[in-house]
Amino acid sequence: MSPYFESYLTVGTFAALGAVLVMVMLGVASVLRPTNPTAAKRATYECGVDPVGSGWSQTYVRYYVFGLLFVIFDVEAVFIFPWAIAAEELGVFGLVAMFLFILTLLEGLAYAIKKGVLRWE
Amino acid sequence: MLVNQFLILAAALFSLGVYGLLVRRNIVLILLSVELMLNAVNINLVAFESMIRSADATGQIFTIFIITVAAAEVGIGLAIVLMIFRNRRSADVSDLNLMRW
Amino acid sequence: MTWEIDYLALAPELVIVVTLLVVLALDLFLTRPNKYWTATAAVAGTALAAIPLVILAVEGENVSMFEGSYVVDEFALVLKGLFVVSAYLVLLLSHHYIESERFYQGEYYFLLLASVLGSLVMASARDLIILFIGLELTTGPLFLLAGWRKGDAKSNEASVKYFILGVLSTAILLWGMSMLYGLTGEITFAGLATATAGLADEPAMIVAVLFVIVGFAFKISAAPFHFWAPDTYEGAPTPVTAYLSVNSKAAGFVAFLLVMYLALPELSEIWAPALWILAAASMTLGNLSALRQSNIVRLLAYSSIAQAGFMLVPFAAAAVAGTNIEEGFSATVIYLVIYALMNVGAFATVIAGANRTATGDIDGWAGLGKIDARLGVLIGIFFFSLAGIPPLAGWFAKFAMFRAVILAGGTATVVLAVIAAVNAVIALYYYARVIKAVWLDDAPAEVPARAETPPSVSLRLALLISAALTIVIGFFPAIATFVGDASRIIAAGG
Repeated sequence: MSPYFESYLTVGTFAALGAVLVMVMLGVASVLRPTNPTAAKRATYECGVDPVGSGWSQTYVRYYVFGLLFVIFDVEAVFIFPWAIAAEELGVFGLVAMFLFILTLLEGLAYAIKKGVLRWE
Repeated sequence: MLVNQFLILAAALFSLGVYGLLVRRNIVLILLSVELMLNAVNINLVAFESMIRSADATGQIFTIFIITVAAAEVGIGLAIVLMIFRNRRSADVSDLNLMRW
Repeated sequence: MTWEIDYLALAPELVIVVTLLVVLALDLFLTRPNKYWTATAAVAGTALAAIPLVILAVEGENVSMFEGSYVVDEFALVLKGLFVVSAYLVLLLSHHYIESERFYQGEYYFLLLASVLGSLVMASARDLIILFIGLELTTGPLFLLAGWRKGDAKSNEASVKYFILGVLSTAILLWGMSMLYGLTGEITFAGLATATAGLADEPAMIVAVLFVIVGFAFKISAAPFHFWAPDTYEGAPTPVTAYLSVNSKAAGFVAFLLVMYLALPELSEIWAPALWILAAASMTLGNLSALRQSNIVRLLAYSSIAQAGFMLVPFAAAAVAGTNIEEGFSATVIYLVIYALMNVGAFATVIAGANRTATGDIDGWAGLGKIDARLGVLIGIFFFSLAGIPPLAGWFAKFAMFRAVILAGGTATVVLAVIAAVNAVIALYYYARVIKAVWLDDAPAEVPARAETPPSVSLRLALLISAALTIVIGFFPAIATFVGDASRIIAAGG
């Protein structure tokens, strides 16, 4: 068997083992635990929020703006990682360049704050 | 390293994206389709990079730039969606027919 | 590890960056009535960016940075000059328009300058990543600017259509670029040029190149990928339309030409026929559709599609024939520069004319020349120049185009030349129709509503500059020839 398929064999083995493990755990638990279902216990647990109404509810539109800001600043951080790896090699020049980069981002953040996007009333 | 499987995956994702873009009428779903296409390109680049192993990891750097540009584009796209939605209470592109295509 | 960074060579870009950051900061601290300072800062910054360009042009040294990925040579300088001048003119056009209709002002100039920055980067880009960043920076802000009239349904529609087609073309282009990278392992144009030698028969390579061409064809709105353009042009605020049809189109063209010419010269048997088809289809479809338009902006939209076809003609012809390709390239660049200058002027007259008559309908402009003779003359200058009538700048563009085609020779080339000649005649018809309405038709009985508003100083200045350039280049084509020579240097040096 080629090494290429051997690596897939590993994946298959682990998948099978994982499935067996889950079945054994749940099987043992169902034999040992007392069963006493009530309505509250059967409800779907949603991060502490009571599951009321249908699943298709409208989200408050402000989440969009927060999400947007988060995504943009989050993604810009991706440029910091390659710099961090080579920071020692790049020296002062790299440091200054990165500061300028972050300052530019900060101006964007200042703009968002000033426009009141981050205030939640 | 063999990259065919990744290229096939990327081509499938790209085609799905094109299909979604042409068929879907909701702007948000069109945006998702575009993201699918851009991410297909990313898979392509990373797969090629692992095959070529260039000295500067060019393919991965390209991917990083595509990811950031895609994020900016989604930002712009959602801003446009919000604007449209405020004006006409719908995000359906087939309503946008004031001018002929 | 350090790089040699020539800050003087980067100065135009740096000036624009600082300007746009200042504009955004100013916008935060200024109150409503003082917002016009953002416009002043933007105009001043753009003018300032021209100074390092002149210094660099006088020095005349080629600067190559980041392992050849970013090059400032004569070709790049000429195009940067074009971008800065046309951006300056568009800013002048915007000034009054944006102020008068209660738009967001600071953000408008911020986004416009960001787009200008993108086009400046693109002129110097000599690798795929920088080219991609430049292209996205140029088009990204324009998606928002196209929808700047937020409450207006047409403007919304313009924005959505432009956005969807814009990101689709980006994705297609990137797919092609990723295949190019995968097949060659190269990302710089110079590297690609050597690595693609002998790969013209590779099926994957053909697909990659075609994807790149389709992506760019969307960006420059060449037929049959043009259908977003008329709607976007009509819906967007007019200064933004001027920018779209001049600056962003020129930037897309530059990127397209650079990739084909510098990165993929070995694959010309793949892309030359495709360019031939794009050129022929754009000229014909653009002109035939323009004939039926009654709205002046829509007419200019189709005219700009047709002009894109004319621009592609010399380059496509030379590439198909395989001879005198640097002549073709330089003729295309000459056409591009002249088109940009006269089209800004045409849009300036559209803004002034719409201001005067309160309508964008060509029939509504009847008799405008008799009401306002100066505006009538200017409309005559720009539209005759677009049609290619001597002694206005447009004739030299057409002349350079046909000369390059004749130099190239060959059957396919002759066919293309015939198509171009027929189209030039059709184009003359609809340009002349506008001038006929302005000068020969009788004015409507009642006086147009907004006849009393005089055009603003900045609009007058924009009209003056573009009219002067159009006439001067028409009489002294040596200026344009200099542009052509600059692009021939890039041909020789690589």
